[in-house]
Amino acid sequence: MTQIDIDGESARDGLMTLVMTVVELLVDVMEREAIRRMESGDLTDEEIERVGTQFAALEAEIESIKEDEEIDEPVDQLRERLDGLVADAVRTVDEPPQQGYSHNPIEDD
Amino acid sequence: MTESSFESGRYLYCVVQLPETEPTEFSTTGVDGEQTYVLTVGEIGVVVHECNALYDTSDVDLVRKWLLEHQNVIDTAGERFGTPIPFRFDTILRGDDERVRTWLESEQDTFTSHLDAMAGCWEYRIDVQRDEAALEEELSNDEQLVELEERIAESTAGTSHLLEKQYEQRFETLKQQQRADRTAALTEQLRPMVRDLQDLGQKPAALAPADETDETVTREARLAVLAHEEQQRNVDELLDEVAADPGVEIRYTGPWPPYTFTPTIEANDSNPDTA
Repeated sequence: MTQIDIDGESARDGLMTLVMTVVELLVDVMEREAIRRMESGDLTDEEIERVGTQFAALEAEIESIKEDEEIDEPVDQLRERLDGLVADAVRTVDEPPQQGYSHNPIEDD
Repeated sequence: MTESSFESGRYLYCVVQLPETEPTEFSTTGVDGEQTYVLTVGEIGVVVHECNALYDTSDVDLVRKWLLEHQNVIDTAGERFGTPIPFRFDTILRGDDERVRTWLESEQDTFTSHLDAMAGCWEYRIDVQRDEAALEEELSNDEQLVELEERIAESTAGTSHLLEKQYEQRFETLKQQQRADRTAALTEQLRPMVRDLQDLGQKPAALAPADETDETVTREARLAVLAHEEQQRNVDELLDEVAADPGVEIRYTGPWPPYTFTPTIEANDSNPDTA
């Protein structure tokens, strides 16, 4: 599991990484909703343009914060791990895993 | 003394089926340089070494070294006795050789039936990766994607931002669908050749090197199969066929001891304090 260090020097970075990851996920969800509405014809052209512009600005702001805080990579990693967890969880729901313990062989190379 | 140390214990590597006629001497260097030996009960044996503490450290390199040593013993035992039932790293039974024998005796039937079932079978790991560029090329003909591209070209900044997002989403969906379809197809082809098969999902392997995440390739499937020696050729050939597809790279490793397919040995009161 990814550990977020809440003690010492890296506490701030860890917290920023977590916050930015959550913000990114939220923006993703909102964008999906906006796209859904755009495609279903709920929004006028002006509204679409306005919403799109706001999202573009929001994204640029997020990117610049990540760059300033140098947490670009940690955020990506955390998202990737979360994605992996979710993907595996969904699969587990589909098809319960067999019992038994897994040991990953290591190639000595 | 900490909680992780004890007077006497046995570190367990694996359970093996003993040959009927040959002598059963076996010794190799185990975790942390310890000398391993086999304790036998009837026709089965367990490979152990003497220890009095758990193998616990925060040093990742040391853990890696121990894991390799652990694995090496199981590999060697596999070469000597045939398919072993491996124990997880740091499985320790408190007590002396007699204690281990008593426990082995109580579980003898379980082990014997698992050893019989897995005799001649080995685990293989199949990691299918697809070149990202080839994948994009393939998917770019999708009707919806083409249409979105046209709309993006005609739109003003705000609208095109949303459309680009939509394009990305559609692309991701297609990619996932294709991955799932191809994995399902491969799984179906493998099934008749293997004893058992498990989809390992996207979880990274324990202690996988950090540089493994390569942005130019997408992992399509990560499978573990339990195949009989006689079927290995068929599996090899099938994977060769799949790998012949341009843009596909297969990492195929094995034979391994059946790590993924080892049954859980039920714990009960007479069982050891495995750590």
